[in-house]
Amino acid sequence: MSEPSIFFSEVNERQGVFNRRAFLMGGLAGGTILALGGRLAQLQLLEFDRYRLMSTENQFNFRLIPPPRGRIMDRFGVELASNRPNFRVLVVRDEINDIDATLDALSQLIPITPERRRQLLREISRSPKLVPVAVAEDLTWEEFSRVNVRTPELPGVTADMGEARVYPHGGAFAHVVGYVAKVSDRDVAAAGLNPDPLLHHPGFRIGKQGVEKALDTVLRGKSGAVKTEVDALGREVRKDPEGDINPVAGKTVVLSLDADVQSRALEVLGEESGACVVMDIQSGDLICMASAPSFDANQFVKGLSTADYRALSDYERRPLLDKALSGTYPPGSTFKPMTALAVLDSGMVDPNETIVCSGQMWFGNRFFHCWKRGGHGPQNMHEAIKNSCDIYFYQTALKIGPDRIARVAEAFGMGQTFDIGISGQKAGLVPSTAWKRRQYKQPWYPGESLSFGIGQGALSANALQLAVMTARLANGRKALNPRLIKSIGGVETPSGAAAADLPFKPEHMEMVRSAMAAVANDTTGTAYRASQLGLGPVLMAGKTGTAQVRVISRAERASGVRTNESLPWRLRDHALFVAFAPYDAPRYALSIIVQHGGGGAAVAAPMAREIMRVVLLKDAAIRARIESPLPMPEAPVPAAGEVEGEAPPPPSETILPVAAPILSGGPTP
Amino acid sequence: MTASAITRPGERDRLIVKLAQIDWTLMLVLCLIAATGAAMLYSISGLSWEPWAAKHLVRFGLCIGMMIVLATVDVRLWFMSAYPVYGLGLVLLIAVEIMGDVSLGAQRWLDLGFVRLQPSEIMKIGLVLALARFYHGLSAEAAKFSWRLVVPVVLIALPTLLVAHQPDLGTAVLLASSGGAVMVLAGLSLRVVVALAVTLAASIPPFVMFVLHDYQRSRILTFLNPEADPSGSGYHILQSKIALGSGGLLGKGYGLGSQSQLNFLPEKHTDFIFATLAEEFGFIGCISVLLLFAAAITIALRIASVSHSHFGRLGAAGVTATFALYVMINGAMVMGLAPVVGVPMPLLSYGGTVMLTVMVGFGLVQSVRVHRYSEITSGRGTLL
Repeated sequence: MSEPSIFFSEVNERQGVFNRRAFLMGGLAGGTILALGGRLAQLQLLEFDRYRLMSTENQFNFRLIPPPRGRIMDRFGVELASNRPNFRVLVVRDEINDIDATLDALSQLIPITPERRRQLLREISRSPKLVPVAVAEDLTWEEFSRVNVRTPELPGVTADMGEARVYPHGGAFAHVVGYVAKVSDRDVAAAGLNPDPLLHHPGFRIGKQGVEKALDTVLRGKSGAVKTEVDALGREVRKDPEGDINPVAGKTVVLSLDADVQSRALEVLGEESGACVVMDIQSGDLICMASAPSFDANQFVKGLSTADYRALSDYERRPLLDKALSGTYPPGSTFKPMTALAVLDSGMVDPNETIVCSGQMWFGNRFFHCWKRGGHGPQNMHEAIKNSCDIYFYQTALKIGPDRIARVAEAFGMGQTFDIGISGQKAGLVPSTAWKRRQYKQPWYPGESLSFGIGQGALSANALQLAVMTARLANGRKALNPRLIKSIGGVETPSGAAAADLPFKPEHMEMVRSAMAAVANDTTGTAYRASQLGLGPVLMAGKTGTAQVRVISRAERASGVRTNESLPWRLRDHALFVAFAPYDAPRYALSIIVQHGGGGAAVAAPMAREIMRVVLLKDAAIRARIESPLPMPEAPVPAAGEVEGEAPPPPSETILPVAAPILSGGPTP
Repeated sequence: MTASAITRPGERDRLIVKLAQIDWTLMLVLCLIAATGAAMLYSISGLSWEPWAAKHLVRFGLCIGMMIVLATVDVRLWFMSAYPVYGLGLVLLIAVEIMGDVSLGAQRWLDLGFVRLQPSEIMKIGLVLALARFYHGLSAEAAKFSWRLVVPVVLIALPTLLVAHQPDLGTAVLLASSGGAVMVLAGLSLRVVVALAVTLAASIPPFVMFVLHDYQRSRILTFLNPEADPSGSGYHILQSKIALGSGGLLGKGYGLGSQSQLNFLPEKHTDFIFATLAEEFGFIGCISVLLLFAAAITIALRIASVSHSHFGRLGAAGVTATFALYVMINGAMVMGLAPVVGVPMPLLSYGGTVMLTVMVGFGLVQSVRVHRYSEITSGRGTLL
């Protein structure tokens, strides 16, 4: 192709076209750049706030710092629940590419069993992407530092030092102090729409029972946060101490309990199933509230295996149940002081008047038996309480009717729950004519009064109520309220002594108390041998109770009532004892229930004595009195003199718990 | 030295005269852009010259030297070398196609042992030169619309298809666009332009669906709906917009851009360096830099328009069009207005090859200015 020669006109034409087009192109480029400027204005000026927020969210990360959980202490400052350091290794799924490789690397450093590994993989896949999962807890310092050194090479793995709850007394306070455990889905649901972010923290444990549950939010404190600048991979670049929020530690809770007494009570109850409550008669403070058998609360903090949990929940003696509050039992003869007070208050029976006990009485169409075959002979009220004569109380209860007895029982705390700060109390039941009508649409049958009079029938109470009953009787004036939580965060809770007066005559209560002293200190009292404290002038008063749980047939009665030892555990009698001491200047009240334990005098009273001894010896004023060489100048202890130097009573008299009063028509508890 | 010196043959060939004729304003604008780039690179490496800022400046220094040398090269030498450079570029592109290094999933580099060469960059200059050379010998009438336009179409299509096959979509688009720009500048009928534009727009959806690789397609689909997958392929666009938007009017301050400093911004030193700038210097900083680019484009177009030779006009304007396309595509991409294609911001972004291409291009522009009175009397051109 020959090259065309370029003519001048053409040169001009081409230049003209080019210039126009170049201008057009420049305009196009200028317009585009202007459009880019407009877009910049939109992003940087109009939508600035939105993007600034997004940038801040990218840049800063608030890492939750769990607050130290508040300690729980006994009245003398002994720790019942505290925290110990817990070295853990956590992984965050979102930051891990290959979870298997990460676990492989970790298992080089810390022991991870294949079983644990499977469990972990399940846990990790189930948890939200950003929530850390604990691979291992309670590591030794060596293991912890081994992982800590390697964390830069293991993205998504952090070694951190948390705190774990520890219960130094193991099982002694498992019911009343309770325990903390992993947060369940139900806990999260219960937290409502805006749950505390702590609930999702891997180390966090929530209160599940007792004080730990009731005061969970108080003990929990407020979480803090560490503000850190992170890069795109989530790695911490800088800390920003000014942006940190310090955690607020949970408040310390002081209980009225005494760790020594509580531990002794658990020890004394041993393998038995039961509960013991000790109460201060002046302040209403609960010195002891034990339930046996117990369990190690520390196990729940770590997480209990299904097998272990099943072992606890399936055991016949119900270790998981707080029997002091939620176990209600027929009080049996421990209720007789209440019947006696109702009788005195009614004025319908002269307490000195005697009723002859022949061992049985015919009422309705059947016999009602006294626990003592052959009977007690003529009994006045004092003797009837001392000997726990059933016939006397059958007769008097029949005379005064159930509603008078119910009024006394309710005034002394039965059939109700107390505000002691923790849940789980069962109110039990105080029967009355109104109750019978309401519940069964039936009139009260006089036969029921007989059972009611000796603390059986529909009547039921828990150990706390029996302790309150005894404390109020021993106080003689005030309707004391029990107090469990002494102070929260240094703020004292209201005392249990701020209560109304009991609507009964002090001399009537004194008569009942002196009969209870005879139970424990008269050589013929039902609990004489079991109630001697051996603390010199300081004596205990009490009342035994043996509550029957089965119907004794006429044939069995004829051939001799079977002993508790010959019966299966669940058919044996409940052994009960209520006591207060010192008798002459009451300071502590105690109740003990041994479920299916046998006789109150043989089983419950010796336990009560052991526990009461610790209680009294820990009281400085009482201890001084015991240790003083001379007796108090005006100690009005009528029973004490008689006891001195007397020979122990014959064994047949003291080992008496087997026989129990026969029930009338009422249902067996 | 007077303005007349440049018009006198003999006199104008003296080196000192040539150097005086270099457009020093354009030079200053380019230096300012590159210096801003170095400053941003210094910032994002945590206020350190390593690993990018120092290298960027050194390279730019070498490129400036080279540009001055190229500015003194007679425009007729450029004219003569047009087809050979295009031919060399084409051969190298084919060579890459046959035995190129596969890096980052695309065949783009040719390892010559001592240097890794990206032939598509040579082609960016080669294509503009070849088109300018071709149109230099074409009448205005023929340039408007004639069968002879098959030649520029083939000239454009060959490298574009080869580069697209590597696959390097960004460069392919850039080559086709700058080639098209030269055709329009040369006088292609605007009716044809409109018709082509409509055809192109209509062919994009089937092209995207059937021709593109998966990752390219996902980039484009992501661009259309970035919020669909914020942590996946929409991540780049979203983080870039956060960086821009959070800069506000005045920016977060030099060295304080959290998005770039903490690596939320991807490719912060190359394709997304403009976002870093936006974050640290805000709207004011962005507009200033855009004005610098606009100034460079305007000056270069003015240089093109005063050239006495058609080759010089089209060459300078074609190079300017390529430069402007870089700026517009990168800007639009960073601001979330275009899909993420690997097109850097010229002179601002770190990267030697693109800087070299751009500076060689501006070398041509300066040469066109220095030799604006030189006539290229025949299609073949003469050196003297």
